[in-house]
Amino acid sequence: MSLELLIDILIATVPLMLIFATLFAFTTWLERKALARIQNRIGPNKVGIPCTRIGLFGLGQPAADGIKMIFKENIVPRGADRLFHLLAPILALIPSMLVLCFLPLDFPWLNEDSVKAFLLDGAVIFFFAITGLNTLAVFMAGWASRNKYSLLGGMRAVAQMVSYEIPLVLSAVIVVMMVGSLNAGEIAGVQTGGNWFVFSPWGFAAFVIFFIAALAETNRSPFDLPEAESEIIAGYFTEYSGFKFALFFLAEYIAMFAISGLAVTLFLGGGDGPGLAVAPWLSAVWFLAKIFGFIAVMIWLRGTLPRLRVDQLMGFAWKFMLPISILNIFVAGFAWHAEQLGNRYITVITWVISLAVLYGAACGLNQLNRGKVRPREYKYAE
Amino acid sequence: MNEEIAFWILSAIAVLGALVAVRKRNLIHGVFALLVFFAGLSGLFLLLLAEFIAAVQVLVYIGAVGVLLLFAIMLTERVAGDDNRRMTSRGWRWGLVMAAAVFVVLLLRPIQKWPSPEPPQPIKPSVEELGKKLMNPYVVTLEVLALLLTAALIGAVTAAQGVRMPKEEDSQE
Repeated sequence: MSLELLIDILIATVPLMLIFATLFAFTTWLERKALARIQNRIGPNKVGIPCTRIGLFGLGQPAADGIKMIFKENIVPRGADRLFHLLAPILALIPSMLVLCFLPLDFPWLNEDSVKAFLLDGAVIFFFAITGLNTLAVFMAGWASRNKYSLLGGMRAVAQMVSYEIPLVLSAVIVVMMVGSLNAGEIAGVQTGGNWFVFSPWGFAAFVIFFIAALAETNRSPFDLPEAESEIIAGYFTEYSGFKFALFFLAEYIAMFAISGLAVTLFLGGGDGPGLAVAPWLSAVWFLAKIFGFIAVMIWLRGTLPRLRVDQLMGFAWKFMLPISILNIFVAGFAWHAEQLGNRYITVITWVISLAVLYGAACGLNQLNRGKVRPREYKYAE
Repeated sequence: MNEEIAFWILSAIAVLGALVAVRKRNLIHGVFALLVFFAGLSGLFLLLLAEFIAAVQVLVYIGAVGVLLLFAIMLTERVAGDDNRRMTSRGWRWGLVMAAAVFVVLLLRPIQKWPSPEPPQPIKPSVEELGKKLMNPYVVTLEVLALLLTAALIGAVTAAQGVRMPKEEDSQE
């Protein structure tokens, strides 16, 4: 291996790891602060510069947490499978870190000859393939702990991730179909100048489906059944402590960044935004800002929505998300052919019809899935 | 040179994974060893510049088949993994014969130095080319396969639902 290639690879990968690990630290602080505000608390506000009374709004909290995690005792249960107990957090972190390189983040220090994995034909497929490995890590952790709560959490996670992966991929199919490429750079390139996929009926429907499925894939609230504290302690990482737990935590947040990044690439135009003609380096800034928009919505939802029940979760994936994402593919296919005609009136009619079809289907499915709920009968009260 | 080193490393991973998968008595360990084998295979595809097949290998075999195996094991009593029952399959000699036969057939061409049936054409192993091939000459095959898979899916759902007795339904409500 030549030295230049090695340097190119390092230039392409090391900044990603540094930037996203830093963002992770900041996000944990942001999440705790935001949740605290939603719940009418203050949140972390003490840790600032050491040996002084300067608080800095608690911005030192992530560093303090990190130090605490490293020095905590590593406890492995006696009955646990030691090898798998060790491997699971590592297996959780590797795929989520790996998929970051498929995001079309055009950093200013990358030039024409740099290694760019997102220009690979099939970057989107690679993204989905590698994200799927997270399921295995979760199952591994749940199984290796030899704890019934861990195993239950692992089983829930596998069932949930397998179910929601289908609408996730099917909604991405629409964008791939429209662009005619699996190359992440090309998908982002098509949408430059505000021509984002989210601004069309089928694109918007796909975007909403993608976002909901992404929440479920990353085990975020309201889909955080695998780690439901009130039911199964902490789910698959009940038996993890110290740095292994920190690795799980890191993997989960990096996966959130990655899937938000893919949503930005597919539906929100990647690094597209105002001011790119003047300063091309703004592209990476816009990209990260859009990712943070997603993270903010995720935190907001976590503070607002209650957790789903298991049967609601499965029913929602298979009876609502799957049919509507398949219908959306058909709608997008017809719309693509209609737009090929190039007639403005036909385009407008297509928009109206597809909007009506998607809205009608959503309402109809909602009606169909509504269980037979009778009004509550009060026996001992009036 | 680089490719050769990578080939040997990936082959070693694949072969070791396959061996462990067969030899391990613990089912879950076996499944994960099988997944290591799939990963090694996907690396070998990448080495052949067949990136799409490598990605699909990870997506289908590791992401779907592996998870399906784990799912199936989770629903059995042997999810704990400790299993000391001795299991000897009676047909292992036939299996050995079959394996040897397949190996010999695969080796025949290089040993006998047969000319390849048609001269290899230089193709670009790209996703685009693959898509054009699937949509142009092989579109009927693709559609038949899709139909077959849909039929299998509907069949699986029907089989899973089972036969419902009308009386039971009444008593549930």
